[in-house]
Amino acid sequence: MDDITIQFEECLRRHLRSTKPNAIDYNMELAQLGLDSMTAVAVLLDMEKTFNIRFPDEMLVEGTFRTARRLKEAVQLLRERQAS
Amino acid sequence: MTRPLPDQSLGPEWTILELLARGIVDDAEQQTVRDLLLSQTLDWGELLEQALRHKMLPMLAHHIISEGLRFDVPMSIYLHLESALEWNRSQIDVFRRETVRVAQGLAGHGIHFVVTKGMTFESTLYGSLGTRHMNDIDFMIAPPDREAVMSGMQELGFRPFFGWAKDARREEISSRLNRDHLPKLAREIDQPGTRIINIDIANSLTWTKSPFDVPVEEALANPVEQPVPNMPGVSIPCFRPVYQFLFTVLHLFREAWLQKFVDFGTDVGLMKFGDVIRLIDRDRYELTDGELLRIMQTRRVTDAVAWVLRHMDETFQTRTQELLALEKYGDEKLLASQMQSSAYVGAWGQSMRERLQSKARGSLREVAPAHSST
Repeated sequence: MDDITIQFEECLRRHLRSTKPNAIDYNMELAQLGLDSMTAVAVLLDMEKTFNIRFPDEMLVEGTFRTARRLKEAVQLLRERQAS
Repeated sequence: MTRPLPDQSLGPEWTILELLARGIVDDAEQQTVRDLLLSQTLDWGELLEQALRHKMLPMLAHHIISEGLRFDVPMSIYLHLESALEWNRSQIDVFRRETVRVAQGLAGHGIHFVVTKGMTFESTLYGSLGTRHMNDIDFMIAPPDREAVMSGMQELGFRPFFGWAKDARREEISSRLNRDHLPKLAREIDQPGTRIINIDIANSLTWTKSPFDVPVEEALANPVEQPVPNMPGVSIPCFRPVYQFLFTVLHLFREAWLQKFVDFGTDVGLMKFGDVIRLIDRDRYELTDGELLRIMQTRRVTDAVAWVLRHMDETFQTRTQELLALEKYGDEKLLASQMQSSAYVGAWGQSMRERLQSKARGSLREVAPAHSST
């Protein structure tokens, strides 16, 4: 796993109790792993702090964090944008 | 209407506020409050702190002044209370004019809306005495109008504002994800005593992902025009009584159950229950003619409404559940199974009365997981 994956998964596990003992299923809807509207805010804030990024308004929609895969792609995109 | 006097087990300061919150309706209540205010053992520090926490300082001030207790209250406290009441009256006056300005602006864009909460209650439930505290001005719109309203509000000089929250970025993200409200809006004004006007615009009677809801379009239909005090010929649109009641109670339910309001320290307060008691007193005929019950059952909000009324009746010795024929509704376990948040009174192991009096709701209790994992 590369650095972002480790940090990304640690970040998710801090907020989604049901993922702690298991590998994260990147295709499962995060809502099924316990993500509700309050934890979604906490996850996005934590991602911003962990990766020093800022989600723009247009990415602050449910689709961005529907699955771990979608969320990780969003984080990677923002990191790339920031690096360029 | 005669109601039992509250027991005084939580102290004279608390009893005074409970009686003022539910509204003084007879001589016995008036005499009780007077006796307690004149008691040698009254702790003024405790009374002022709790009045502030429950947004009741102007109401307490008005009561003391109207009772002619000027020379029975410590002078420095009396003068402060007098100032607090005058300031609140001045702020209400500023808010009234701004409400009309915004209402005319939105109407000019062809937007259907109503004014809600403090601005409507201040004159209809609290007699325009300047006793109803309010932090902001509240509106309700339909979800399809969100963008048009945001644009119209910007034309009126308002901008999204998150600085009121301890964690502004958290609030900003939350307001973008939870689309039951527009982001809070603020406008700076050149007015002594009131530098900023905040406006809160909701587009739901409940909240994002609520297990039950009342369609906003249904609630916005056939609004009533409410005259604006001190502005002859000017009126603002408000919910008709049945929907005014539903929104007010469901709003209280939301703030009692969702953890974020506990964290903000804005979950439940005496004044919010006082609004409901006064609404039922004022609109009892409209609320008991069968329409309200039909709507609640159709929209599956009967249990949420009954839960609020049950806790209100237990706290304030009112009998509203019986009046509205809701005695068999409001099961807490059923509601808990529907809700994603465990931030409700049962999670404290306390009564609503104890929760209201508690000064450390968010810090004493470990925050429960927002969703029970399997």
